[in-house]
Parts: sequence; C-alpha cells; structure tokens
Amino acid sequence: MRWGMVVDLTSCARCYACIAACRIEHFLPMGMSWPRLMALETGGDRPVVSTYSVRCNQCQEALCIEVCPTGATQQRADGIVWVDQDMCVGCRYCIIACPYQNRTFLSRDKDKGFFPGESLTDFEKAGKILYAHQVGTTEKCNFCAERIDAGLARGLRPGTDREATPACVNTCPARALTFGDLDDPNSEVAGLIREREGFQLHPEYDTDPSIYFIDGKIGYADTSD
Amino acid sequence: MSERKIIKTTCKSCHGGCGVLVTVEDGAITHIEGNPDTPTWGTMCSKGLSSIQHINHPDRLKYPLKRTGERGEGKWQRISWDEALDTIADKMKESIEKYGPSSIAVSQGTGRGYNRYTHRLARSIGTANIITPGYICHSPRIGLYGLVTGYGRLYCDYHGWGGEFPKTQISWAKQLEISSADAEMAVWYLNSLRHVKNLIVVDPRETALSSRAALWLQIRPGTDAALALGMINIIINEELYDKDFVENWTYGFDKLKERVQEYTPERVAEITWLSAEDIIKAARAFAVDTPGCIQIGSSLERQANCGQTLRAIICLMAITGNIERPGSMMSWMVPDTGLLEDFFFEIPLTDEMRKGIVGSDVHKMGAARTAHSDSVIKQLLNGDSVVKVWFSVGGQQILHLANTNEVIPAMLNLDFLAHVDQFMGPMAEHADIVLPAAHWLEMDDIYNMHPRFMIEAINKTVDPPGEAWPDNKIFNELGKRVAPQYWFENVEAMLDYQLRKASLTWQEFSQKGFLAKMGEDQIYYKYKTDYWREGGGFPTPTGKLELFSTVLESMGYDALPYFQEPGESPYSTPELAREYPLVLSTGYRQPFYFLSQYRNIPWLRSFQKDPIVQIHPETARKLGIEDGDWAWIESPRGRIKQKARLFPGIHPGVVMATANCFYPEEPGPLHGLLTSNPNVLTSNEHCDPMYGSPDLTALLCKVYKVE
Repeated sequence: MRWGMVVDLTSCARCYACIAACRIEHFLPMGMSWPRLMALETGGDRPVVSTYSVRCNQCQEALCIEVCPTGATQQRADGIVWVDQDMCVGCRYCIIACPYQNRTFLSRDKDKGFFPGESLTDFEKAGKILYAHQVGTTEKCNFCAERIDAGLARGLRPGTDREATPACVNTCPARALTFGDLDDPNSEVAGLIREREGFQLHPEYDTDPSIYFIDGKIGYADTSD
Repeated sequence: MSERKIIKTTCKSCHGGCGVLVTVEDGAITHIEGNPDTPTWGTMCSKGLSSIQHINHPDRLKYPLKRTGERGEGKWQRISWDEALDTIADKMKESIEKYGPSSIAVSQGTGRGYNRYTHRLARSIGTANIITPGYICHSPRIGLYGLVTGYGRLYCDYHGWGGEFPKTQISWAKQLEISSADAEMAVWYLNSLRHVKNLIVVDPRETALSSRAALWLQIRPGTDAALALGMINIIINEELYDKDFVENWTYGFDKLKERVQEYTPERVAEITWLSAEDIIKAARAFAVDTPGCIQIGSSLERQANCGQTLRAIICLMAITGNIERPGSMMSWMVPDTGLLEDFFFEIPLTDEMRKGIVGSDVHKMGAARTAHSDSVIKQLLNGDSVVKVWFSVGGQQILHLANTNEVIPAMLNLDFLAHVDQFMGPMAEHADIVLPAAHWLEMDDIYNMHPRFMIEAINKTVDPPGEAWPDNKIFNELGKRVAPQYWFENVEAMLDYQLRKASLTWQEFSQKGFLAKMGEDQIYYKYKTDYWREGGGFPTPTGKLELFSTVLESMGYDALPYFQEPGESPYSTPELAREYPLVLSTGYRQPFYFLSQYRNIPWLRSFQKDPIVQIHPETARKLGIEDGDWAWIESPRGRIKQKARLFPGIHPGVVMATANCFYPEEPGPLHGLLTSNPNVLTSNEHCDPMYGSPDLTALLCKVYKVE
C-alpha cells in the first residue's frame, strides 16, 4: 500500500481550483499554500505552455525526514510523509533539504488573518477549532490524510470514493488529478503510469516521489495527412 | 450542542452553475465543495470556493445608502429600505411623467441568472432601455443563431447523449477550460476532449490546451471572419461540404459560394498572419472529421465586425452539416418549466418601447430589445440624452464600456443613478442611492444555466450581512412600487410562478436541486421533424437554414458574410500604425477573476496581484522592457500601465492586456479605474453595424517602460 497521485499535464487548465480546495479543506492561513502551480513556458517557433500542479511529493526516500533533528517529520506505512506539529521546533532544515521546495514555514507574519486589522471571519474562527495551525512550525501537503483515514475507517476506497480522496482531486474540473495505490498494479494510477509513461520530477535526486506526471497530445490522431 | 447541516445549492460565481455542498455549523459556513450528485460531478473552481472569504468580507455593503455630498464625493448616509425604494420609485415616476418611460434605463452586469428580472422590471414600467454587456458578450451569437434556429441558442454537444462526441473541435477565441462562461461548462468541455480527434485552437496566444492541440492558429486579432470565409472557400471548392444537408436544408449556397471565392487561402493567410497550409488543414479536418463543433468566445463579439464574423462561422457549421447532429451544434430543449425568459417575454415590447430604445435606428439587431450602451453614453455627453434615470443592478458599466474618459463624465450627467452591489466599487461611488445585495450563498433563487437544458436551485445557506437583500427581492419590491400589477406578494410567490409549468412549487424544486432535459430526453435532428416546422425545416422565412439571410437583407444588411478590417489596424490605418505600431487586444482573463470581480478577495488576489500585459520577449527586448517591469500602454485615447509579462506564446506584433481591472483597495470614487483599465484605451467610435459592438479586442497601441 503506497498512496500516490498522477497529474495529467494534457488536461490541466491552470485554473487554481486545487489550491482553493486545499485552502478550504485545511483552513490554510493567508500566505500558506500547500499545492502550487508552476508555469512552464518555452520559446521557439512553437512555444509550449504547461502548468505543473505541484505539492509535497511524499517521497519514499524523503530528505526532509533525514534532516529533521526532532523526528517531527515522519513517514507512515502507506507512504504519506507528515509533520507532527507538536514535535516541530521550526528549525527549517527540511525547507532547505526539500529539493522540490514544497514546504512552508508558518511564521507569525503569515497569519495576519484574511483581512488584516479586521476581526476574524466566521470561517477563520471555525478553523481555529477544527484545524488549528501552529505558528512557528513547518507545513506541507499531507495527501489529505484525515480524509483517507476517516474514509478507510468507513470502508471507503481512497481515489474512488470521494470522501476518502484528497480535496484537490475531487474539485479538479479538468479531472487532471488521479489518486490511488501505486503498489496495486490494477489501480488507475498504476495503469496511467504504465500506459502513459508517467514520470517523476527530478529523478536524479533519488527521492522516489509518490507523484507522477503524464503528458501528451490531445486527440487520437493528428491532421498531418 | 452544535448544529451541523449540509445544504445543496448552486454556484453563480461565474456564468457556470456548478452544484455545491455547503456545510453550515452554528450558522457559519465551515466547508464548501462541489456536489457529486449534480451534472457538474462535484467539481468547483477557485472563484466559487473562495466565496467563503467573499461573504465575510468587511467591505460588504450592509445597508441602503443615500448620497449626502456631491456625486462621487463619497459622503453617504444610511437609510431604510423603504426610503431607498420609495425614492427610486418616485424618481422613476417623475421622469416617466416628464419624459416618458423610455427615460428610465435598467442595467445589469453579465447575465448570471438574473437577466429575466432586469428585463421584466424594465418592460413592466414600459421601457426597453436595458443596458447590458450582452452586445459584447453572447447576445450577437444568440441573435444570429436565432435567424436559423428560431429561439436562438446553439451549443456544442459535449455530452454524447446522441451516441457521439465531437470528432473535431474548434476553440475559437475562447478559453472555456478556465471560464465556464456564456456557453458551456469547463468540466463538460474538458471531458469531451478525451473523445476528440482534432482539437483546433484559434487564439492569438498559446495556451496549455493549444500546446497540445492538433492545430493552433495564431491569428491576428480582428481577422476571424476572413479565416472562417477562407475555410468555407476551401471546403466548397474542394467539394468537402455536406452535400445532403446543403442541398436539402440550406438556402443561398450558390450565393455563398460566389461570395467566398475572393477569400482564397493565400489572401486569407495574408490578412490573418496564418499560413495557407494551416488554414487548409483546419478546413479539411473540420469538413472531413465530422461531427464537429465550434466553441465561440466572446472576444469575437468585442469587434466591430462581430455580426459578419459570427455569420461566417455559422455558415461554416452549416455547410459541414454540423447542426443538430449528435456531437455537433445543438439547440437544446428546455426543461418542463419552459424557457425561464418567458418571465419577461410575457410582457411584450410595444411599438412605443421599441421607438424609445437608444441606438435602435442604427444597430437594428443589437438594439432591438436592449439599448446600445455606447449610444447612451454619447447622448449623455452631448446633453441630448433619452435616458435620465438609471437603475443599475450589479455590473460596472463605468468600467467595461469603451473609452472610460467619456464614460465617467457621461454618468455624471444623469439625473439620477441607483446602483445595487455587494461592494462600494466605481459604479456605486457615482450613484445617488446604493443598495446592498446578497451573495448567492445568501439567497433563494432559480439559476438558469446558459445552455438552457437545465435550471438549478440556489438555496440560502446563511444570512446576508446587515440588511443586504437578494436581487430578486429588490426587483420585486421596487417593481411593486412602480408597476404593481406585474409583481408578486413575495419572492417565494415569484419563484412558484416561474416554476408553474413544471407543476412544481419553489419548496419542491429547492429540495430537488435541479431540473434538466438530458440524455434521451433531448431530440437531435429537429429540422427533420415537425418540431420547428410542419414537414421539417428551420423556422426561417425560407424554411431552410439561411446561408443567405433574407431577414438581414430585409433589414438592409449584407445578407452574406464578409470580412472588414478593424477600425484601427496596420492595414486600415497605416498612418496611425506608424505611431502605434503594436496590435492591442484587451482580452486577457485570469481563471480566478470574473470580469471586474474578485480583486478584493484575498485568496484570489494572491494568485496575481497586478494586472498583466503579455508581450513577446523579442518585442520587449527592443523596447527595453524586462519581465515584471511596469509598462505604459498607450492608444490615441489615453494610456494605462500594466505589469509586463514576457511571454513567448504571443505574436511579436501583438500585446494582450488584462481586461476590466481596477483596484478595489485604492480610494474612491475611482478605485484606480484609470490606472490600468484597458477601456481607457478602447474606442467607442467604430461599432458593428448590426450589434453596435465596439473594437475592444483589436486596436493599435504603443508600449514603453514606466520610468
């Protein structure tokens, strides 16, 4: 069992929905984004425009775990890398170590509220209770582990059943994100990686990310004939 | 003990209509996500999701206000709803008595399920001077489709209900993937691309999808009619057209054939800056790999040749037989409620109303049931305005109309302006009375999705701030004061009335969530049945799909499509082009903003703080502009500044400015309206003969660094 994600660059329309869904799911403070969109634009006669929807890669060989002096960053049996916010001392070694720059330190100035100088909104107040963030620690995407765990406890299947699937995957209008078990050869993610030549970002770092990307042309034939 | 409930509703943060699940705990929203049990499959975009910040925004308007200082001075006093509505009603009645009902204008922003209230209010008081952005967004399509399909709506069949998905798709001046606007939903379009053979993208800029399409046509802005006519030329001359459809169901093919002869691939290549080979490739793919559909973007309706451009594209759909066939262009049947627009159609336009429409003498198609906005502005400036009292509900005409430097003084010449909004934006700042509006999370209403095969329930989830009211209540309560016979005891009675033909009450519909005609409920090939016409055919004077439009001919327009250069271009105004050498398009949109909205929503603003102008790296280098520099963009009307983004996917001769931008955080009354809004640059002089649409997306400019 190893949870993983496939991002289809053929479909991603760079709409930012994944980021917004994550902010709601985890009541993210302003200035904090777990997923990000990275634009790639090449020059030349036929420029290529692409968008990489990136988030913590949940690496199997995670450098952030290696460098963490307190053991706050840990890996679960299902591959998810997570930060125990109570153990994190905010040293930020992991931020320097992550070759993908997918970790963010929640400093006090990042948490000024949605509307600085105004009282907290109802949603922010609810977030303080339902999903408290700890200023002075490092945060990152956790593949919506809360949803996965709650879903599994109810007998649901992550990647198939919505309530056990990460929020960004559910909301994507392009259906560009697929979630599932990389170890299961019959899973949709394993099939996509196999059939559409899935690739990991920066394989040269030997981190073995759990997020794969696929790309290709739209259409089942070209018009060149 | 906390109370937690999940409410089903419908998003209208854009035109879309995505099904939504809202979790409310103890009266506060704690979660929003898409509703998987609706036709949008549980997906939602950043705009709709960020409504969580929108509803609690500290700048929301909470109470009716009346102006106490000079207009635009920003001095306001809180008043009661009764005082506000009585004042507006009195101003209207006074003006009707003095100048007649046409002196009242009712305006709206983009049509997100409330058009029928705007139109009903106007018609109920006897005026058709309705000011809408329709003439630069969607209305020309509806009008011209209406010439062939009777009720006026053709949509791409992305659904596969007839057993086939489109094999060839043209995305023409459109980014449906990020907009869900005015035609179909992004989620359906993106799904249909899994079944497409050829995706052809017509866009001056490379996009994520065009990078992966079979063909990307990087067209010169404003030359789309030439491309369509060139494609028709190839399809006819190579005999690739649908002979059965053309012979049996169209009128005027020979005349069209004759007309397009001058649009050879070589000539069209010169006009459009495309290669003849690519034009031929596109034409062949669309004609051979059928069924196919064309997604038309409203950028084509922001050009002064808009009517004939759309006519040409409709002819292209028709000669390839891509009408009413599964996987082509469909005129969807509506749910059992009938067309919700009957809510205003049931009050017919009288001759007096028609005569009073500003611009109707010139723009006979566009100003047939709504006013020509630019003519209203010109009249106000000249001091001979028919319109004296303006009731504005949403929308920022002051921002989206061409030539802002004329629009602002024109608005100041009104006798009276009342504006309904959620925030104190530039339009509200210039009003005499401002009314606070509820958000879609705070109201009950019926959402009328653009393709019209579905209506959806907007269910209230939380209370609006202060005394803000939903639009429908504002219309009803004002309507009762000025034309009581047409209005209702309360909103629920008004919603019941709109649902009556489906034998549903609002309460029942609210529970049900949506009502749609989908799948086997839709009938394809309606022209082969008695649906439009006994014995088959189209509801036109000739009974055929009119390639040669007898209706346009009778109105004095050219009955066949043609290409015309934009009012300003390197070819139509070469003198001007020496001083302003770059083609300017103002069509740049971001997926997290909707027109002028949402720059004050922190999560959305975080994606892009400043308005961006896209410029080719080579062009920028010659101008000494680096990525991230502020750049002046100047036209003969004025200059604005936007942040330069060096983008290899744009033609070196074209720059693309971000549309409709102001800075909500800057002080009123203008809120930075003149700093970056490209309508400071646009012209209201050169308008489409049929629809009055000005050249907003094809102009000339020069660009230089802000020192």
